[in-house]
This record gives sequence, C-alpha cells and structure tokens, in this order.
Amino acid sequence: MAYDPRREDYQRLALRYAQSLSKSDPVAAARAFTDFGRRFARDRDTLPQSDADRAFHLVSIAAEVIDYQLPFSSEDKAGALISRGRDLLDEAISLDPQCHDAIRMRAARTSATFDAQFDFLSEGAEEVLASCQAARDSIPDDGDDERVTLGRDIAMRPYRRWMAALAEEALICGRNRRCAEAGERLLERDPSDQADVRFTLALAYAKLEDQASLDALARRYGSIAPPRAADDAWMGIARLALAHKSHDMALARQLLERLIGAYDGCASALISQIELPDGVFARLAVPPYSEDELILAISEATVLLQEGDEKSGRGVLGSWVAQTTAKLYPEALAEAQEVSNPYDQHGGNGPQGGDAA
Amino acid sequence: MNGREELVLRCAHRRREKIGSLSDEGFAELCLAVRENPAAFVDSPEQASFATLVSALETFHRAGADDDLLDDDEFRAARGRRLRALSAGCAQALSQDDGCLDARLVQTLAAELDPDDRLDALLEIEAKADATAGLSLGATGDAWDDVFMRPRLRLWDAIARTCLDGGRYRMALEVSRGVMAASPADRVGGRLTAALALARLEDEEGFNELDARLAGRENSWLNLGRTILLYKLGRMSAARRALRGYDGLCEGAAYALLRPTLVEVYLPDRPESPAGGFEEATFTVHEAEPVIVDVPDFVAWADGFPWFHAAGKNYAETNGYDW
Repeated sequence: MAYDPRREDYQRLALRYAQSLSKSDPVAAARAFTDFGRRFARDRDTLPQSDADRAFHLVSIAAEVIDYQLPFSSEDKAGALISRGRDLLDEAISLDPQCHDAIRMRAARTSATFDAQFDFLSEGAEEVLASCQAARDSIPDDGDDERVTLGRDIAMRPYRRWMAALAEEALICGRNRRCAEAGERLLERDPSDQADVRFTLALAYAKLEDQASLDALARRYGSIAPPRAADDAWMGIARLALAHKSHDMALARQLLERLIGAYDGCASALISQIELPDGVFARLAVPPYSEDELILAISEATVLLQEGDEKSGRGVLGSWVAQTTAKLYPEALAEAQEVSNPYDQHGGNGPQGGDAA
Repeated sequence: MNGREELVLRCAHRRREKIGSLSDEGFAELCLAVRENPAAFVDSPEQASFATLVSALETFHRAGADDDLLDDDEFRAARGRRLRALSAGCAQALSQDDGCLDARLVQTLAAELDPDDRLDALLEIEAKADATAGLSLGATGDAWDDVFMRPRLRLWDAIARTCLDGGRYRMALEVSRGVMAASPADRVGGRLTAALALARLEDEEGFNELDARLAGRENSWLNLGRTILLYKLGRMSAARRALRGYDGLCEGAAYALLRPTLVEVYLPDRPESPAGGFEEATFTVHEAEPVIVDVPDFVAWADGFPWFHAAGKNYAETNGYDW
C-alpha cells in the first residue's frame, strides 16, 4: 500500500471530527457523520482541525500538484505548477513548523545535489522520529481502539515517509549500504511495510550483489500488510539483475519471463524503460501489478539498468532487458515503438529528475 | 604486454627444450642470441604465429602515434582502419597457429563489443583454452614465470575487466582473485580490478584485506577505490583524506579525475606505466569510469575541495592542457 495523500487528509479530519462527536448518542453521531463527507468536500474550513491538519491538507494538494500533475504537464504550465507547489509547502510549514512532510518535500526541490538531499534527510532522521513519536504518544486513549490505532499510525507516517525517502536518495547517490541501513531500520519499526521500502531495499541488495540479503528480504514478505507475494516488479528486476550479474543468462531470461507474466500485457514498458521523476511526497500510489507499477519500478531501477559501459547509453542490463523482451514479445516492441521512441526518454535531466524548481 | 620480450623468451625456451639440459648461464646467453635475431629462432607455427601478432600490435601502435593531431572524424576513421588491420593481423596469426591465445584475445578486444557480447566471447576462448591445457603454477608457484602461461593470465584479466565494464562486480572480483592466486606477484594487475570492484560493492572488509596484502604498495587504483568506498559509506572526512592520498600519489591525479580523457582500448592488457606518473592516474580513472558514474555527485564533491581543484588546474596549466 503506497501513501495516498488525499486519503490521509480525509482520514485526519474524519478522525478529529469523530472525536468531537457525542459518544452518548450514536444515532446523532451517525447522522452527523453523513454530514462530514459533504463538509469535507465543500466547506472544509467549518470542520474542526488543528494547524497540523491544515498544514497536511496543503501538503496533500502540493503532492497532487508536484507528483501527479507536474510530470504530465506541458512545459509552459510547469513553471506555474512548480511555484504553486512551493507556495503550498511554504504555507504548510508556516502553519505547522513540525510538518515534516512539507519540510522534506521543500528540501527535495531546493537541494542542489542528490548528496545535499541525502545529507539533509540523514541528519534529520532522528529528530523526525522523536517528533513523530511525541505526536503519537500525545494521542489520548479515548477507548475507541480502532480510532486510537489509526490516529497513532497517522502520527508515525511522516517518519516512515522520511526514512523511505532517505533510502531512495541513498540508492540514487550510489550509497547502497546506507540505503540498506535506512530501509532495514524502517522495516524493523514497521514490519507491515506501509511505505513499501522493501522495494527500494530489493534494488539496493541487487546493487550490492547480495543474494543472501535479497532472499532474506523475500522471506519477510510474510509480515507485509495487506499481504502481497514477493513477485512485485522491484523484486523481479532485482532477481534478474543478480542472475545477469552472475552471468547466469538462462536464469535471467527465465526471471524476465516470470516478471512479464506477473505484469500481464505490460511488456512494452520493459522496452521503453521510461525514467520518471520520483514522487516527492511518496512513491506514487498505483494499483499492484498494473502497468503503472511496472513503469515506476523500472524507473526506480534505472540505477541497475543503466549501469556499465555500453554504447547505446541504456546500460548493459537495460539493453539486455529491452532486447530480450523484444525478442520474446515482438508485439510489445511494436507497442513500445508506437508509444514513443524509447531512446528519446533518456535525456538525463539533472539532479531532481527534471522536475526541479 | 611486452610482446618483443615475450617472443624472445618463448623462442629461447623452445630452443632449450630441443637442446635438452642447459645451465642458467647457458640460457642467459641463448636469450641474448635470440634477442639479436629473433627471426632465426622462430622455427614452429606456434612461434611464427606469436611473432605475427607482435608485429601487428607494433604496427597498430606505431601507426597511431600521430593520431592525436587529427580532428575527431579523421581520428575515428584512422583508428577504425588501424583496428581492422590489427584484426587482420590476428587472423593471420591464427591461421599459422589457431592456439595462439593472445591473437584470439586481441582480435576479440579489437572488435570493441559491448560488455555482454565481449564476455561471452572471452569466456568461450577461456573454455577452449581450458579444454586444451589447464593452468599450472609451475615450479615457482607463479604462473607468470612461465611465459607460455602469460596469455592465460591476460585472458583472465580481460575477463575481470569486462565484468567490471558490464556491471558484474562480484564476478570481476572472483576472476581477479583467480588471477592473483595464479600469479601472486600479480604482474597482470588483478588486484587493481579487485580494488575497484570492492569499492563498488562497498565491501570494506574485503577492501581492507586487499589493502593489507599490498601493504606498502600503494597505487592509484587502490587510492581512488578507497576514496570511492569511504564516500559511498558516507564517511566523508575519511573519504577526504583518502582523496588527498589519491591526489598525492600520482602526478596529475586530480586532472585525470576532473578532466577524464579518452583512453585507447587495452590490447590486450593494461599498458605498463611508470608508478606515480600521470598515465597511472589516467588508466585508473578510465577503468573506474563505470564505478564513478554510479556515484553521481562524487566528482563534484572532489572538485569542491579548493586544493584538489587547484591541483587539477595547475597540472593542466603546467602541461598546456585545456582546463
């Protein structure tokens, strides 16, 4: 389950609203709640909320603008979206100076280099943890277990997103051990892996050519909630990368076919290998086993695919994956060529993947 | 590869085998005689083939001596012609003796295949060579001391470097460790590839082990590898010190990293370069290129130290290079 900013915004206000309702009159409470949806959509300011809730609302809009609209906007609209996102984040921070999501997202857009963003996230991790824990511990136990659990869970999410972002940034920086450290630390705190940091971990273990750790990671899929098999695209790419790296080409081919099997009808994405800007709020929320998920995984796996000294510039593994897929699935090649010229997608857009302010 | 010298050694060894027993002094004299006139001692397809290869390599390098005066297109064309001529020379050598491993190796490398195809080709050569004769360490315990084993070591070294080019770092490490085991004196340079692979794999323990084995034999590969390793691990002040070590060891080391230049493909092995010279740093950076691009902010980080930047700039100005 990836983080959906709009859903979280809704959850926060619903939670606060529920707390404000009379516990002694369940019928009135139920009636009041039907009212909530309407007010949330149209008249949000009339709902009870804290500055932190208001700030998160702005974060959710900023996430929408930066992560979901900007990558698909025309160039002349991009500037306006970028400054809108920046203004929203600035306002969120002025409302709630402890709004770690906004702070993190703003840094992602102002850090001049990957290293600077990595340092920023790395240096802030402990403080964010303490701050989120304090917020979690301040939520009173009002007797409603479900509500308390959700409230406390929401309080910890900014920390999880922070650590997931740290792991991702470390991977991009080529600091694979640091990536593994951050990811493992997060996974230890949240074995259900709400942040899907295991995807980033899988790529880091492949970079380190550490088969044992990748296998151990696969075994931990048992505690993932909601449950999911270890056959996602990140795991699939990590496994086939390891086979390719150890020159077991028959196994690599077999693993590639298995990956394509898990993402039925999406093989053309493995030929196009589009590189997308990473989600600044969190990894984009897309349905499991969808083409979008495969596209995201391939984009994040750029660090594996584009490695090595190869003439076409797509990297040794990237070329092999594209060529082998095209041979196995000629129709996917035709589709990929129709959608775009895959070779145009590798412009190399600077530190923040081309979406930097 | 010092082809001329190896040709002399090969001819002398085969002649000694024919003569039967020969004292060390007698062998030294024989070597002198061969060096005078190697052609007179080339008396088998094996030696004729090797001689053909040596000439082809010499022609290749000699013909390219003035190529840097050409513009880009002319250079590319001239180089293409030289490579084709070299490949033809290899084919000729192989027609004389199809067991000439070096000719096969040079021909494969001259084709400038992508790492996957190159690795397949080299592994195929290795499989055939292995079926013909296993590698033996000989009386000294170092395969290099047997001149007929050297092609095999060069082949392994080329395989290790091809693995490094292809993103196969663990395999590069295993093969280069094989090179070091077969030739502890490591004239071929397996340790150099190993250092870069260990850095890329962020294997500090392995790197320190290698470091300890080479105690006192610092080189540019080890120093740049250590810098990259520490940088990747996020130990920035240690990385800075390692960068100083890299900068101090070789002439123009900073320039080599900040302004990488084109390095000709190794045919078949890493050209010998005087220790501590600019060439050493240039070869290091060339070989480390896939590892360096994998840490996108590394070069900018190094360039950010005023002393490192100044070292690069000074070297360029002193030697009349562009900056």
